[in-house]
Amino acid sequence: MDSLVVSNIRQRPLRSAISILGVALGVALVMLFTGLARGMSDDLQKRSSNVSAEIIFTRPGSTQIIASSANVSTKYVPLLQAIDGVESVTPVIRYVYPSGSFGFDQVEGVEWDSFSKMNNIRLIQGHAPSPDEVVIDETKASRNHPVGSTLKVFGDRVYRVAGIYAPESGARVKMTLASLQDELQAPNKCTLIYVKVKNPSEQLLVAKRINEALPGNKIQPTRELFATIESSIPGLTIFLRMLVGLAAIVSALVIMLAMHTTITERTREIGILKAMGASRLYIIGEIEREALLISFLGLLVGFALAGIAGFGIHKATGLIFEFGARWGLTAAAIGLLGGALGAFYPAARAANLDPVNALAYE
Amino acid sequence: MATIVKADNLEKVYRIGKVDVPALRGVSLAVQEGEFVAVMGPSGCGKSTMLHLLGGLLTPTKGRILVDGENLTAVSDAKRTDIRRRKIGFVFQRFNLFPTLTAEGNLRLAERIHGNGADDPDRRHEILRMLHLEDKMHHKPLELSGGEQQRVALARAVVNRPAIVLADEPTGNLDSENSELVLKMFRELNDRFNQTIIMITHNPEAAAACQRIIQMRDGHIV
Repeated sequence: MDSLVVSNIRQRPLRSAISILGVALGVALVMLFTGLARGMSDDLQKRSSNVSAEIIFTRPGSTQIIASSANVSTKYVPLLQAIDGVESVTPVIRYVYPSGSFGFDQVEGVEWDSFSKMNNIRLIQGHAPSPDEVVIDETKASRNHPVGSTLKVFGDRVYRVAGIYAPESGARVKMTLASLQDELQAPNKCTLIYVKVKNPSEQLLVAKRINEALPGNKIQPTRELFATIESSIPGLTIFLRMLVGLAAIVSALVIMLAMHTTITERTREIGILKAMGASRLYIIGEIEREALLISFLGLLVGFALAGIAGFGIHKATGLIFEFGARWGLTAAAIGLLGGALGAFYPAARAANLDPVNALAYE
Repeated sequence: MATIVKADNLEKVYRIGKVDVPALRGVSLAVQEGEFVAVMGPSGCGKSTMLHLLGGLLTPTKGRILVDGENLTAVSDAKRTDIRRRKIGFVFQRFNLFPTLTAEGNLRLAERIHGNGADDPDRRHEILRMLHLEDKMHHKPLELSGGEQQRVALARAVVNRPAIVLADEPTGNLDSENSELVLKMFRELNDRFNQTIIMITHNPEAAAACQRIIQMRDGHIV
């Protein structure tokens, strides 16, 4: 092996492996967190996009994505239905609660007939929910919840799975509106009302009519809601950026420590390089190349770790990861840049060693 | 013959704590091109300091050093490194090979540092052949005997054909048989390539192989 860089890495396999793992950890963290954010957001968006209603009618202050309140009166249902241009309306309670294992779960209370008809949702197995029953989508069913099995909702309430529906839309678990109203002690209330218009090109006009007829409420085009799902999660972008920054610092520190130790160990070899006429730039270049190779290997391991961990977490918890090229490139840049920056101080220190002292180093 | 190494009134003082320790006290010498010179003297007399100064690894406290016409004492550290790379090869008592590289790898590293796209397998193999190392090319230092390691170190020092080879007790760690072999190699390099060799040694037999012996004592040439 004629390459000093490769042979140095091979000479200390444990230290090299730990350095690689350190970089990999930073990269994997970036990939997992951003993949989770994107996966959950896209999943939410995909499920939301199967809603055919063009308008969502709610009360001001309601947040549809993570709402768990039922503060809209169902008395608006006939009033909305009577407005010119409205084809159909259906009230929905969306309730978010802490899941038993990890994160949050959602359940929706719907009037099944009007909801399924409006959104072209069909039952592919079983029947519509009755009190104490739920229907679930195929993804939920695939996680060991066949028709006839039981499902815990709200942590400890047991419901029977009455049917499986497709395509997926909104919350994966749906029960009757009345059941959820009873459970929340919110009679005649819902979270939002979906409004489908007769002519989609007139949805703005219909929205205006609703606003005139029922002032003081929030009328939001469904497409706008879909476009802002990711940005509507408070602080998500800032959180992701901070995470990326932390990953960069972790990578840089791991490499800095590894290279610092390496250089102390190889002081004599650096002295030999200097005696052979190696310039400062050459010595810095050798050390930077070693750091970059370690970082590159860390990058590959990090991507593999993220993929394996994402798959494992998805299997265990149902959380969805979607790894995008943009964050992949960001993670790669962090790993490599962190490594290069981390190695720079030890490299500069090595380049400035006194050759005679370095040669005498034991 | 032209003078290839010239030192004028060299002084070197080390500062150890608050104490000044003089190592060289006004050394002047001239070495001709193609000369094979031994430097002898008791431990601590300043031999290694002088060799390090001539090789540009140290800067003198006072005095001037000319190597192949270039003033080592009047140039920057980067320029001194450049002169060392182009004109000087070092051989050390402790061989100082890179333990993770093969014999050939050590030579190739020297070529890469020298630059000029200097990866020249023919020249490398010629040197290895001359030093009887052809069958050791792919061995790492720990797989070689002391004599073989020193021959690899010698090959590495001369692979880029430097004008001057500076050797710091190259036979100090070798038995008499290997010492003789290494000295023979030095003589051959000196004869064949007209390389100037300045060799520190404690061994009178090694010194006897040289054309001239410089004796040092207490930081002076005597």
